[in-house]
Amino acid sequence: MRTTIVNIILVIVVAGLVSCEKEITVNLPPGKKSIVVEASINQQFPNLNYVYISRTLDYFNPDLSFNGVKDALVFITPGEIQGRDTIWNVSNRIQLFDISEIPGVDSLLAGFNGVYFNPLLLPQIGVPYKLEITVENSFISGVTTIPNVVEIDTVFWRTEFDEQEGDTDVFLTFEFVDGPEQNNYRLIVHNSQNPLMVGWGTANTFREFDDAILNNGRRPYSFFSPFNYSDTVNIYLNSIGRREYLFWDSFDDAKDNGGPFSTPVMVKSNITGAIGSFTGYGVSYRRVILR
Amino acid sequence: MKSSFIFLILFIVFFADTHAQQISGTIKDSTTGESLIGATIKVVELNTGTTTNENGQFKLKIADGTYTLTISYLGYLNKQIKVVVVNGKNVNLPLVLSPTVIEKKEALIIGNRNDKNVTSTEMSRVELTAEQVKGLPVIFGEPDVLKAITLLPGIKSGGEGGTGFYVRGGGPDQNLVLMDDAVIYNPSHLLGFLSVFNTDAVKNIEVIKGGMPANYGGRLSSILNVNLKEGNDKKFVTNGGVGLISSRLSVEGPIKKGKSGFMIAGRRTYIDAIARPFLTTEQRANGYYFYDFNAKFHYQFSDKDKIVISAYYGRDIFSFRSPTNNLVRFNVGWGNAAVSAKWFHQYNKKLFSNTVAVYNRYDLNNKFEFGSNGFVLSSGLQDWNLKHDFIYLSGNHNMKFGASYIWHTFTPGIATGQVGTIVINEAINKQYAHEAAIYFLDEFKLGSRLTVNAGLRGVLFTQVGPFTEKIFDDQDLVIGDGKTYKSGEPIVTYPGIEPRLAATYLLNSTTSLKASFNRVYQFLHLATTSGAQFPADLWVPSSQRVKPQLAYQYAVGVYKNFNKNEYETSIEAYYKPMFNQIEFKPGANLFFNQNLENEMVFGEGLSYGIEFFAKKKFGRLTGWIGYTWSRTTRQFDELNNGRPFFFRYDRTHDISIVATYQINNKWTVNGVFVYGTGNATTLPTARYTYQPGFDLITGEPKITFIDLYDRINDYRLPAYHRLDVSFTYVAKQTEKFESSWNFSIYNLYNRANPYFIYFVPDLEAQRVRAYMVYLFPILPSVAWNFKF
Repeated sequence: MRTTIVNIILVIVVAGLVSCEKEITVNLPPGKKSIVVEASINQQFPNLNYVYISRTLDYFNPDLSFNGVKDALVFITPGEIQGRDTIWNVSNRIQLFDISEIPGVDSLLAGFNGVYFNPLLLPQIGVPYKLEITVENSFISGVTTIPNVVEIDTVFWRTEFDEQEGDTDVFLTFEFVDGPEQNNYRLIVHNSQNPLMVGWGTANTFREFDDAILNNGRRPYSFFSPFNYSDTVNIYLNSIGRREYLFWDSFDDAKDNGGPFSTPVMVKSNITGAIGSFTGYGVSYRRVILR
Repeated sequence: MKSSFIFLILFIVFFADTHAQQISGTIKDSTTGESLIGATIKVVELNTGTTTNENGQFKLKIADGTYTLTISYLGYLNKQIKVVVVNGKNVNLPLVLSPTVIEKKEALIIGNRNDKNVTSTEMSRVELTAEQVKGLPVIFGEPDVLKAITLLPGIKSGGEGGTGFYVRGGGPDQNLVLMDDAVIYNPSHLLGFLSVFNTDAVKNIEVIKGGMPANYGGRLSSILNVNLKEGNDKKFVTNGGVGLISSRLSVEGPIKKGKSGFMIAGRRTYIDAIARPFLTTEQRANGYYFYDFNAKFHYQFSDKDKIVISAYYGRDIFSFRSPTNNLVRFNVGWGNAAVSAKWFHQYNKKLFSNTVAVYNRYDLNNKFEFGSNGFVLSSGLQDWNLKHDFIYLSGNHNMKFGASYIWHTFTPGIATGQVGTIVINEAINKQYAHEAAIYFLDEFKLGSRLTVNAGLRGVLFTQVGPFTEKIFDDQDLVIGDGKTYKSGEPIVTYPGIEPRLAATYLLNSTTSLKASFNRVYQFLHLATTSGAQFPADLWVPSSQRVKPQLAYQYAVGVYKNFNKNEYETSIEAYYKPMFNQIEFKPGANLFFNQNLENEMVFGEGLSYGIEFFAKKKFGRLTGWIGYTWSRTTRQFDELNNGRPFFFRYDRTHDISIVATYQINNKWTVNGVFVYGTGNATTLPTARYTYQPGFDLITGEPKITFIDLYDRINDYRLPAYHRLDVSFTYVAKQTEKFESSWNFSIYNLYNRANPYFIYFVPDLEAQRVRAYMVYLFPILPSVAWNFKF
């Protein structure tokens, strides 16, 4: 929001005088090499339980392919909480395999060369899970839990005729009940006929928010931008843990790096041995047709 | 000076007094009755002299004899008087100086005093008048105090068109900005493009960037002291100006002639209206403007008592309405308010005092609305300040001593409103603090060549309750009830001693060597992650975890005047280590953060450099050249792998050339050239991909690119340089009406100076493109100024 406000003010302040820019050549020294991991599990959609492993590239490396890492050993192990300890039983661990090499699985994600998957992985709410990866002489680990689901309670919308466009705008709102405890949420909106089946990155909107200010009550969530009449909208209200929230909050800032009023953002990883996150999503899902 | 003339008065005093022998008096403007601060009184025969204090008063201890006094002040005709002191009789001289026509003369002279730059113990200190500021080329036709001071050596501009300033390696929060003794916490409008100082209301500006005398403290790097006009107590005068983006008007006049006067001034921008034709339909729903008011009143009860009351109120207002959803609105307002009341009292010929009471406040209010839901977020800081200063003049000693006390109230964040069934009533704990200081300084001579200014300042800062110290777990969530402090209960106390020392050794009447040392504490810190001062940036106090910032500054210099003071030159070198410096972790969240201190990291800073300065004071051509070579670094264990890194505004070479040429009585041309090594900036060294997915329409793979940084401020932006020129045309100048036009061209040779760099991955071309954004190309502007 801050960046948006600043940009709007800048436009007003120097309207007609700014937006001068030119392409330049920048010589940057090579950066530190690192492995990058995005690991996701949830209790409802098995296709969205995957681990994407890639590596960093020098900034101006001409290869802009997705740089996935193959030949990694990837395991996810459910744990059992006993008092203050978590017991990890190796016999329960599940190995994830390169999705392009799993017989019978034909996923578009195979094109990313570094997505690991196992259809037998069916995580449950409240259970801790440990991620372990061995790749290129590195060992990466992380722990997450799928929090309790906060259900989407009500969905409603209003319509408004858009005279300029000559069509009908639909303003969508849903409500949920926020409990007294500190929760953290990640909202994912998928505007399509079908539920999201191929990678969280396919969805239109990602937004994380918490209840530091708006806490303990029936809470509406209104979309600022309208949908089109008769759109099918898939709403995922995902509960995530605090560490996972801090990662995605910093990730959101990191996407918007640069500019005179910002400083570089480093994401707050919740795994060790690599950059990235291991996130357990407690998914509440609703599908509505806006008519 | 061609325009000067000699005015001779003969004072002969015949009465015997074997003890007291002094000349004292007050120097005022002959047309407005305003006291002239810093006017020079020189005893020609003794090659000695003094300057007037902030109430326009002076005193000289002198033996029997006949003396010639020369009184001078920038923009006024010199006056010379002859004084005969017989048998030790005191002489009191109420004097007035007549202003020259500023627009025609000396518009670009810094400092005014004959030899004062050489003889005084002050170093690293400069003065400007509002008229000097108005004479400089400007952007958008808006003269600005803060932009003007960045043309001085050792003071660097924050960026293109901005008013932020950085003094000898210090951050923006290390400058104490005072308007008539009131602290201005956010001295900028328009996100830093203009300052809060309306030049029509400004009388003079003083900048102290080192060698800080003991009567000042609280900030590590500099004091910017802006004094407003007190109000003409002889006649009504109206000043105004119409610029491209704002207009201003001020009125001053007598309430009781010769005794009392007032000044009111206002300014309002219409940039929103000007910009409207250039905006898209959606953008037109947004609005942005600022305004500010100044008011000042003085009353002279007698020769010994005077009160001055000054007030300021200014706000920036930004409104936003969603272009896609008219139920969504957002309004932000921020600004400063300040009131100060000063009582000057003269106890006797030797002892004076100033008592000042100040209230100042900075606040920010954000109002979010979406349909029937909405909430307000506000934050701010306010001070109540009381200080009492004494000036004691006794023969060889000029002493100042006094005390000050500030009651700070910090409001980091309050949220109120309703969303759904949730009633919002959240607040981050307010914080309260006492800040007190006592000081003593004495300026005295040791022999005929050495003058010493020694001082000591004692400071005490205490954070007090009511306060609940919250305890956070490793995920920044509050656990337990925390520790509660009652109202007034001390939480943490920081005492400190600040020695100050400055000395001048006269090699001859036009050459001196100077040295100074000071140690300064700073108890207030600005929480910001960006280079520009954003309205939402918070001031936070020293606390149990946040230790006071501390700096030492050592400076030496040589001062030399040439050709009967037509040319003044100086070279100063400084070395300034800084401790307990504060930075924020990359990506720190400052917005409504209960545990802000957890986002801070603490380290050290070092700045050193050498400043060259030469100016020409008289003649058709006046101006100055300043050059600074400097180096500024920071070191934090938790940043940059513990390695020192360049401060964002480290600038190895910094050059300013300012010149004014008086073509004739109607036309004056001004030019400014600046050059600075490019700012140090942090650029990504690697990138990675995240969030794999697919475009639902095209079926193409979709990915998010994230930049990775592992070195801070390791890259230099291209050098900054620019030439500005302006022409001032005096259209009419009579006793009753003055009118002038200022035609400015900013960035004459259209240099594309870097504002920032950004990168765009081009998947089609398989490369990352780098773009440099620059704000202002060649930019003409015009402003009309009037006075009647």
